[in-house]
Amino acid sequence: MDGIHDLGGKQGYGPIDVTAPDFAQDWERRQWALSQTMTAPPCTIDWWRHTVECLMPRDYMTMPYFQKWTTTEMALNYHAGVFTLSELVSGQSATPAPDVRAEVYDIPALLEQQRGQNHSFAVPVERPPRFALGDTVVTNRHAGTGHTRLPAYARAATGTIVAHHGGHAYPDACAHAPDRAAGPEQDLAHHLYTVEFTAAMLWPETAHPEDTVRLDLWEPYLAHP
Amino acid sequence: MPSDTSPSADTPGEDTKKMAEIHRHLHSHLPSDPALRVKALESLAVEKGLVAQETLDNWVQMYAERIGPKRGAQVIARAWSDPAFRDRLLADAGQAIKLFGYEGNATEHLKAVENTETTHNLVVCTLCSCYPFSLLGMSPIWYRSAAYRARAVREPRAVLAEFGVTLPEGVKVRVWDSTAELRYLVIPQRPAGTEALDQDQLAALITRNAMIGTQRDLSAEAA
Repeated sequence: MDGIHDLGGKQGYGPIDVTAPDFAQDWERRQWALSQTMTAPPCTIDWWRHTVECLMPRDYMTMPYFQKWTTTEMALNYHAGVFTLSELVSGQSATPAPDVRAEVYDIPALLEQQRGQNHSFAVPVERPPRFALGDTVVTNRHAGTGHTRLPAYARAATGTIVAHHGGHAYPDACAHAPDRAAGPEQDLAHHLYTVEFTAAMLWPETAHPEDTVRLDLWEPYLAHP
Repeated sequence: MPSDTSPSADTPGEDTKKMAEIHRHLHSHLPSDPALRVKALESLAVEKGLVAQETLDNWVQMYAERIGPKRGAQVIARAWSDPAFRDRLLADAGQAIKLFGYEGNATEHLKAVENTETTHNLVVCTLCSCYPFSLLGMSPIWYRSAAYRARAVREPRAVLAEFGVTLPEGVKVRVWDSTAELRYLVIPQRPAGTEALDQDQLAALITRNAMIGTQRDLSAEAA
């Protein structure tokens, strides 16, 4: 979708605050911890990202980063029926406390759990790759109505394949299949490539002639010219 | 002409519409103060047994004390000192960092990209804020700001100038936009005059910005 989140190449932004800390507020740390540790309804990383993208555009641009996470966790849990609206407004559960409380993880256990979070998104794909290293490719002009990882600035653009990564879970499909979080199979995967674009191709009026931009793009985004 | 075979192009996007509707619904009912929103979410999650409060406290402490850019700096220092490790890191960084036990969130498909006399690498995520958390810790606020995400791909040299980086003549910029599950780690150039330093001393020179690409020259750190 052509969402507000697709910021690459957008103009009108001022200087970057290069001195800002990692976290501006304590509640941001709490949100980071919540998102990483609370039991969540079935969700692919792509459905999670798409939920952020579906924020009201003005909220997307004005909310602090971690407030977008808070609102996304709320929306996902509301959508899945875990929390009701009145519970989210009051912060109080309307159901009796469960018999079993959540287990407490100490720091060594969390460090170990963190190591286990290195999920692979590689999925073997039997179809042979359509593109080879060095091929010239053209990207799609349109993005479709759902989630995609082909940014607007790199659409209908001509680039060169510089790497092939084998099959990877395809976000455009996985975003709309949250129940397939356990690991998508071939039907939700495509060959993934790194594609290089010259900056002059993307922004002919201002680019430095030597500069390039590389993106990781799935096969359905690409065609032979 | 490009064919558009993505499934989402063929579906009406009912789930997308539904989620946007939920966001509008929440917007009109929830407190706008973000701290209050997080407090409500935390209380609910704890009450419903989805997470323990102590686990959240421990997570915050773990990221403050144990996970951060020092991890990435140790990996780079080893690559500077040990050519065989440098080759492993360049070949498959996701595997190479397992020697340190630093794998985790968003590192399985990590790729190390090396600065040279003629190439400077800069990492961004224009669509969200993808970052190799378990190797570099929480991202700096500027990395997830709209200004950086918008400008890094289009005017990388102007962005670099704001970080105090001026590229010598003949150096080209290669921007990596993290659009898939690959994550990028920049290997900065080792400063001159550091031949006698051991890996811990070298690691102390390596900044987070250098591993993202918003710093190029580490010789001031070495001076």
